[in-house]
Amino acid sequence: MRPLRFALAQGLLLNDALAALRAIALDVSRVTPGGRRLVVDGGGNIEFVLARPSDIATYVERGAADLGIVGKDVLMESAARVLELVDLHFGACRFVVAAPRGALERSLDEYRHLGSLEVATKYPRVAEAHFRARGLEVEIVKVAGSAEVAPQVGLADWIVDLVATGGTLRANDLAIVEEIAASSARLIANPASYHHRRPEIAPLVEKLADWASRSSPKR
Amino acid sequence: MDTGSRRPILSPPRGFRDILPTEARELRVIEQALTETFAASGYMPLEPPMIEYSAAQPSQERLIQFLDTDGSLVALRPDLTTAVARLVAQRYRETAGALRLSYFAPVFREEPAMTAGEREVVQAGVELIGASGPIADAEVLALLVESLERCGLRLDGSTIHVGHVGIVRRLFAALAEEPRSEVLTALRAGDLVGALRRAHEAGMASEDAERAQAALGVVGRGIEQLDGDDVSELRHVVHLARERWPGSVKLWGLPNIGLVPTLPYYTGIVFEALHPDVGVIASGGRYDLLIGAYGAPRPATGFAIDVLRLHRALFAEGWRPSNARPLVTLRPSGDERATMRCAASLRAAGLSVAIGDVAETAGIALVAAAVVDERRVKLGDGRTLDTVTLARELTT
Repeated sequence: MRPLRFALAQGLLLNDALAALRAIALDVSRVTPGGRRLVVDGGGNIEFVLARPSDIATYVERGAADLGIVGKDVLMESAARVLELVDLHFGACRFVVAAPRGALERSLDEYRHLGSLEVATKYPRVAEAHFRARGLEVEIVKVAGSAEVAPQVGLADWIVDLVATGGTLRANDLAIVEEIAASSARLIANPASYHHRRPEIAPLVEKLADWASRSSPKR
Repeated sequence: MDTGSRRPILSPPRGFRDILPTEARELRVIEQALTETFAASGYMPLEPPMIEYSAAQPSQERLIQFLDTDGSLVALRPDLTTAVARLVAQRYRETAGALRLSYFAPVFREEPAMTAGEREVVQAGVELIGASGPIADAEVLALLVESLERCGLRLDGSTIHVGHVGIVRRLFAALAEEPRSEVLTALRAGDLVGALRRAHEAGMASEDAERAQAALGVVGRGIEQLDGDDVSELRHVVHLARERWPGSVKLWGLPNIGLVPTLPYYTGIVFEALHPDVGVIASGGRYDLLIGAYGAPRPATGFAIDVLRLHRALFAEGWRPSNARPLVTLRPSGDERATMRCAASLRAAGLSVAIGDVAETAGIALVAAAVVDERRVKLGDGRTLDTVTLARELTT
C-alpha cells in the first residue's frame, strides 16, 4: 500500500498547519512553503502533498490524498464529500454579506422596487445557498478576485466575501450586513481511507484533536 | 443526428461512457458470478423500470430529471433499493412471507461537471424483505462477502466494516428530536465537527459529547468496551455471518461504530466493503422504514455492489477472467458450401468459430485455421486436423 498521503493547503493556512503537524511530532522538515517540490516524504510511511486550497477538497474526495488540512470555507464552497474530523481552530474567518456603508436602505428600496439584488462573490455556491435559505431573490455575479470593488464600480449592489479582520471591507467603505458562517481550518479525510486505514489515521486524529483543544480553549 | 456541415458528435454526454468489448466481457464474467451466487441463496431476479417519478424518490439530490410528455417530472432511477421498495409496496402489499429479490442494472446520478464523476453506475444487489432479526442481517452480510469472493476479490481483515445506526442514534438520545436529527444529518454528511458542535449547542453535557466522540471512533476489538442491546446485536450478526460464509479470511467483518451511511433510510445494521485503490465497493444494511414510506411497512435489509468499482478493484489486483475458450478464425476455401459446413462441424464439436478475420478479439486467444474440406482444417503450424481432433486439442 502507498504511504498515507496528507494534503496541505498552500497559502495562508500552511504555516499554522505545519506548526500543528510539528506539534504532534510529524516530520515536516522537507516541506518548504513556496518551494518547487509539491510531493515530499514525511518519514514513517507518510507523504505530504501541497496544493491550492480549493484542490485539497478534490484530492481528498477522490482519494488521491487520504487526509487534508483545509479551511471550512473551501469545504462549503466545494461541497466535496469528505469527512470533517477535527476543528483545528486556526485560520479563523467569516463569510459575510457586505454592502456600501450607508447604502443598505437604498439597496433594500431597490429590492422592493426591482425585486432583485445583484451580489458579486468568489463563492457563488455559499452565496446562493444563503440567499435561498433567507428567501431573498438575488442574481449572483461570480468574480475571480476582489469582490470588494464590485459595488464601487457598479458591478453589483452587495458582495459575499470571506473576512478575517474586516480591514479590506473598511478600506473599501463596506459594512457587514449579516454573517453567513464562521470558518476555521479542518482536518478532513477520505471516507473510505478513514475506515480502511484507521490504524494509521486514528492516532493522528487523536493527537491533532488534543493539540487543537489545548491550543484554543474555546469550543 | 445533424448531418449538415457540422462535425458529427462522437462522444457520449459527460459522465457516460462506452464500455468496449474487453471490459464488457470481463463485466459479463462478474455478472454471471454474482447472479449465480444470488440465485444459490434463493434470490429471484427482478427488473424495475429505468425511469421513476421524481416525487417518489426519498431524496431529490443528485437526480437526473426531465419532463415527461404529460408534464410530470421524472428521473432516471438513482438507486434500485428505492425502486424495489416501491414495487414491493405495490405488488406484494398482501404478502406476509420473506421476499428475496436481486438485480443487476444501471442507476443514474447527477455529478458536478469537471470532477470526472460517473453519472451511470452499474449496481448488483439483493433485498431481503419481510425478515428481521440477526439471522436475516447475517444472511445478507454473508452473501455480500460470498459474492465478492466468488468474483475473485481478495479480502483482508479490514475490507468489510460493520456498523449500527441504532448505536449512533443512542449516543445522542439525550437530545430533543430536532437537534438530534440535525446531528444525524451532519454525521451522514461526514461532518463530525458540525455534529458535535450542534450537540454541544443543544445542551449536551461535555462528558456525554466526549463519550459520543470516542464511541464514533471505535473500530474492531474496541467494541468490547461498549454495551447496549444494539452493540451485542452487531457482534452477534458478525459472528453468525462468519458461520454462514467462513470465507478465506479468518475473522472478516470489522465492527466500526463511525460507519454512518450517506443515504438517510438505514435503521439498523449497516456495512461497507472497502478497497484501498477504489474506495467503497459495496454498501448495505437494514432499512425498516423505507417501504413503510410507500404505505406498506415491512422490515428489510439488502446491499448493492458497485460493479464497475468491483471490476476496477479486481483489475488492480491483477485479476483476469478465467480464460474463455479460444476463437477459431476460419479462412474460407474456394468452396463456399464446404466452408459453411466446416464451420458448422467446428461448432458442433463445441468450438467458437468466426469465418474470415476478427478485428476485435476482446482479449480472447485466436486460432487461425484454413478450410480444407467439410471436416478438416489446416492450422498455422502446417498440420491438417479433423474438426473433432481440433476440438479435443483446444478444449484440454
